[in-house]
Amino acid sequence: MNIIELDGVSKTFGSVKAVNDLQLSVPKGSIYGFIGPNGSGKTTTIRMIMKIMYPDRGSIRINGREHDSRRLQNVGYLPEDRGLYKKMKLGELLQFHGELNEGVDLKNRIDYWLDRLDLKAYKEKKVETLSKGMRQKLQFIATILHQPEIVILDEPFGGLDPVNADLMKDVILELQQKGATIIFSTHDMSVAERMCDYIFMIYKGKKVLDGTLNEIQDQYGNDTIRIQSDLGAAALEGIKGIESVNNFGKIQEVRVSSGADPQTILADLLKQTRIMHFEITKPSLNDIFIRIASPESKEVSHA
Amino acid sequence: MHKILTLFKREYKAAVRTKSFIISLLLVPIMMGGGFAAVLIMENKVDTEDKHFTVIDRTGELQEYLRQSVDNRNSNDITHTRSGEQTDPAFVVDFVNYDEIDFEAQQLALSNRVKSAELYAYIEIGPGFIHGNGEESGAYLRYYSEHSFNDPFRGWFSNTLNKKAQLVRAAELNLDDEQTRHLTKWIGIEGMGLASVDKKTGEQQEAEKTNEAQSFLVPYVMMILMFMLVMMGAIPQLTAVMEEKNEKIAEVLLGSITPFQFMMGKVLGGIGVSLTTAAIYVAAAIFTLNYTGMQDLVPYDVLPWFFIFAVLFILMVGSGMAALGATCNDNKDAQSLTFPGILPAIIPMFLMMPIIQDPGGAFATTMSLIPIFTPTLMVVRMASTVTIPMWQPIVGLIGVILYTWFTVWMGARVFRTAILIQGQKPTLGTLLKYALKP
Repeated sequence: MNIIELDGVSKTFGSVKAVNDLQLSVPKGSIYGFIGPNGSGKTTTIRMIMKIMYPDRGSIRINGREHDSRRLQNVGYLPEDRGLYKKMKLGELLQFHGELNEGVDLKNRIDYWLDRLDLKAYKEKKVETLSKGMRQKLQFIATILHQPEIVILDEPFGGLDPVNADLMKDVILELQQKGATIIFSTHDMSVAERMCDYIFMIYKGKKVLDGTLNEIQDQYGNDTIRIQSDLGAAALEGIKGIESVNNFGKIQEVRVSSGADPQTILADLLKQTRIMHFEITKPSLNDIFIRIASPESKEVSHA
Repeated sequence: MHKILTLFKREYKAAVRTKSFIISLLLVPIMMGGGFAAVLIMENKVDTEDKHFTVIDRTGELQEYLRQSVDNRNSNDITHTRSGEQTDPAFVVDFVNYDEIDFEAQQLALSNRVKSAELYAYIEIGPGFIHGNGEESGAYLRYYSEHSFNDPFRGWFSNTLNKKAQLVRAAELNLDDEQTRHLTKWIGIEGMGLASVDKKTGEQQEAEKTNEAQSFLVPYVMMILMFMLVMMGAIPQLTAVMEEKNEKIAEVLLGSITPFQFMMGKVLGGIGVSLTTAAIYVAAAIFTLNYTGMQDLVPYDVLPWFFIFAVLFILMVGSGMAALGATCNDNKDAQSLTFPGILPAIIPMFLMMPIIQDPGGAFATTMSLIPIFTPTLMVVRMASTVTIPMWQPIVGLIGVILYTWFTVWMGARVFRTAILIQGQKPTLGTLLKYALKP
C-alpha cells in the first residue's frame, strides 16, 4: 500500500520549472531516499508533500486522502534549514513542538529521546548554548516526538560527525521497524545505497531514477570494473575499450565502452602491470548520479 | 485553535519573561512620574536674581506710580507668606527720557544692554497710552526683550500700567476709587459640566465644575496608553516575523501549522503582552487615584470600550505588520516598511489637540469614524467631558471589526506566500500580487 502518491505534480517559480510532471509512489513502511543535485527540485517536492507549498498542477495524496488546506497529522518534518528558538530551553522547546503536533505523553517522550540522543544533560540549557550538531539532534527529536507515521527529513545527516550520524541512522531504522515511513533527501550516495529501500532521483525538476538500488543499477548493466594494480591509474593509459576512469588513488573504477569485452581489458592490463584486484560490477549510485548530473552528461534516462 | 493557542502561549511567555519587558514596564511610569516630579521641582527652583528694567515713559505721568508699584511688589509679592523664602525675583527699574533726536540709536543702545544681560528688558510707554485712542495716537505699550513672547514679567507691567490708566481716566470722569473698582471689576466664566440623573438612585446630580484633568488629562492618558499598547503589541511583529523567516524557524513551524495559524498565534501573543501591560497600568492608576481621593477621574464607563478597541486595534495593525514582516529580507526592508505600518498609531497623535478641544465637533466625529483611527480617537472622545451619542461608538466598533477582518484576511494572504520567498523586494506591486494570488 502506498502511503504517499504524487501524480503529475508540477511547480513553477517565475520562468523556472522547479518540478515537472512528477509521479511518485512511496510504499508504507519503507525508507525512500531523495537524491539529486542542488536546485534540482528535492526540497520543493518535499515542501509540496508537507503542504508548505501547493503544486500548480497534479495531485498529492497522503494515506489515500487528497491534499487540502488542513495541516498533515502524524507527519514529522525536518527541513533542510534548521530553525529553533534560541532563547528557549531544550525541554520547553520540545514541549512546544510536541504540543503543536498534538503529541501525547510528551514529558516521558522528551526524557526518553533526550537520553537516547545524548542530550539529557542539556534539558534545562538554552538552545543557543548547543553546538550545531547538537541542535540538529534536538530538531530531529522535535520532528519525531509525536511518533509520526511519516517522517520527512531533508538532509538529516548534514553537519553531523560520524558518531552522531551513526546514532541518527540507528534511530531512523528503529523508527522504520516500528512502522514509520521515512523519506529523506541526501547528497551522501553511500548512505542512500545502504539505508534506502527505494531511491528517487530528481534532476532539473524531472524524475530520472526511481526504484530499488538493484533495479536502478540493472538499468546500467555490468559496465563497471574495479581495478587495483601496481601502476595504478597509469596502467590504464592506452588500454582500448575503456570509456572513462574514476581514479580513487588505490582503486580505479573503469567504465567499459559499449561492446567492449572486460576479459580483453584484463589481458591488456596484465601485459603492463601486476593486478591485485579485478571486479566486474554494477555502477555505484555515486557513479550513476555523476553520469546523470555532471555538466557533460547527456544520458538522462527518464525513469 | 489549539495550535494557535500553543503558539500564543510561547509568544506571550517569551515576551513577558524578558528583562526588557519588565524594565519597560517599570521605566515608562518612572519616566512619566519623573517628568512630573521634575516639573514640580523646577517650579520651585525659579530664578530669584534681581531683574533690571529701563522704562521710557513718554506720557511723563507714570514714573512715580510705577516706582511705587515696583517697591510694593518687591516688598509684598516676591516672598512666600509663611516661610519667608523668596519665590520671585525683585524688579529694579530706572527711567530714561525719550530721545527725540535719535530714538533709533537709543533703541539700539538699550537693546545692546539687554543682549549683554545688563538689562532684562526695556519698556516703552507710548505718549498716548492714557488718553490716546489707537496706536497712531501713541496708545501703546512695548516690551523689548530677548524672548518677549513668553516673557513671564511682561504681563505684570501690562496689568500694572493699564490699571493706573483706568484710574486716571476714571478720575477725569469724577469717579471715586470705589466706583472705579466697581466699574473695572472683572469676573471670569467658570467651566461647568452638565446636570445628570444617577442611574442607581434616580436622583438628579448637580453639574460640577470641569477641570483640566477631566477635560484634557484623562483623554490624553487614554490616547498615550493606546499608542503604547500598539507600539508594544503590534509594531514588533514586523521584525519578529522577519527574524523567524530569516532564521528558518518559519519553515519548521509551517510543517506543523498553517501560515494563518502562525500569524494569528504571533499576533495574539502581542495582544496578550499589551493587555498585560494595560491591566497593570490601569490597575495602578485606579489604585493611585482612589488613594489620592481623585477617583472621579477614572472613566469606568469608557474602560470596557478601551479594552475592546485596543484588542481590535492591535489585531488590525499587528496582522498587517506580521504580513509586512513576512515580505522583508533584511533590516533595510524592515525599516522602510515600519513607518507606513505605524501610521494608524501616529496620525491620531497629530489630531489629538483639535479632537480634545472639540470632542463633539464634526471634525472629531468624522475622524473617529474612520476605522484605522476609530480605536484611538473614539476612546479619546468618550473619555472627554462631552457626551458622545451611543450610536457613534457602536458604528465605530462595527467599522473597526469589518476593517480588522479585512486586514487579517489580506495579511494572511500576503503572509502565506511571502513567508517562504527569499530575495523578493517588498514593493507595493509585490504585496498586491501576493494578496491577489489565488
